[in-house]
Amino acid sequence: MDQLIHLFPGIGSFFVDDPIVAVTRVVLIVFGMVLAYYGFKRTLEPLIMVPMGLGMIAVNCGVLFLDSGATGNIILNPLVSDPAGLINLLQINFLQPVYNFTFSNGLVACLVFMGIGAMSDISFLLMRPWACIIVAIFAEMGTFVTLIIGLKFGLPPGEAAAVATIGGADGPMVLFTSLMLAKDLFVPISIIAYLYLSLTYVGYPYLVKLLIPAKYRGIETDFDMGNVSKRKKFISILVITTVLCLLLPVAAPLIMSFFIGMAIKEAEIEPLHALLETTILYGGTFFLGLLLGVLCDASTILNPKVGILVVLGIVALTISALGAILGGWIMYLVTKRNFNPVIGIAGVSCMPTTAKIAQKIAMEENPYCMIMPLAMGASLSGLIVSAIAAGVFISTIGMLAP
Amino acid sequence: MDSIAYAFMAYGLTALISLAVVGLIVIINRLMGNSDNEQETD
Repeated sequence: MDQLIHLFPGIGSFFVDDPIVAVTRVVLIVFGMVLAYYGFKRTLEPLIMVPMGLGMIAVNCGVLFLDSGATGNIILNPLVSDPAGLINLLQINFLQPVYNFTFSNGLVACLVFMGIGAMSDISFLLMRPWACIIVAIFAEMGTFVTLIIGLKFGLPPGEAAAVATIGGADGPMVLFTSLMLAKDLFVPISIIAYLYLSLTYVGYPYLVKLLIPAKYRGIETDFDMGNVSKRKKFISILVITTVLCLLLPVAAPLIMSFFIGMAIKEAEIEPLHALLETTILYGGTFFLGLLLGVLCDASTILNPKVGILVVLGIVALTISALGAILGGWIMYLVTKRNFNPVIGIAGVSCMPTTAKIAQKIAMEENPYCMIMPLAMGASLSGLIVSAIAAGVFISTIGMLAP
Repeated sequence: MDSIAYAFMAYGLTALISLAVVGLIVIINRLMGNSDNEQETD
């Protein structure tokens, strides 16, 4: 029997592991299959979910007996902390170098942000800047309410703030903030954030339809599609980067990454624009999804704090959506019905998913209703507000006594 | 600082900075709009 267990360690380790760990591994393998399948079906975001699901399956199946007699894998060990051990693992584990050199230092978040920046256009924000930013400020509500709930749950301030940033619905931002504020929990927080962000595509339309009656969903909204010159856009980008980096130096890597993508697009540096928009963005997203998957091993998921994080993550995104819809309604009333309240949901940045949700819902009621450009403006504003909130947390969290 | 007071302070600061950034964008847009028009006229 012992020989059989060692002949097929992937299966044998199920009988040697603690029963709770073994059951968790089975659950995660099935969960990985579900995520990958729904990514394939396009119910969930395929760019993240297909590699994440396969990574989850591989890390929970590919368990073997190591020299010390303990079980482990040769894919990745995120918990290694002593330098000598790390050097050994870098030479053995398949994804260890990618994890240590791109993930655990936040580089992958910055690379993805460069790509998103290269795909964004500041002119969407310039159409109705005040409406977009006000909606986005309301859509950040979940972050701050969840911070209070997290503290009441007994989380230390850094961890409560890190999980609260899920309310900003911005994956790279959550990854970056949790690295800064809750290094020990950044793996489960990032996994939960990305899982929930994929679920927004499924859950948010129900929430919007519940809170905005059908007759309001197809309202046409005025906006000026007038040409904004490249020069104007480029100078705006330079000024915003300067101001945000001066005010929030801790968030400067993310701010710079995002706006450098935008600046390269507006400067029409085609080779760099193509590099950021395709290779960097898709390469970063692929390794992000794959690493999130292989980080979902039983030992990470069985951290007793994960249960609290799972609850807080969904609370943050739900309250942000409610705040966003409230913002949409307020703008509808303030502008004397010249604002479709559905645009509010796009303030929960999650770019461009929430903007697509807004446009789809509006078109279901009125096929001629075009709100996508404004929704993209709200989404872009949401991203800026999330970056500012992350910077504010990182700079001021010390004011809260632990 | 009390957690609720901190959350309000952080939310307020975030809102204030966001509005200031957009205010700046609007001002630049107006100023540049004028100079762009002048260039076109020239």
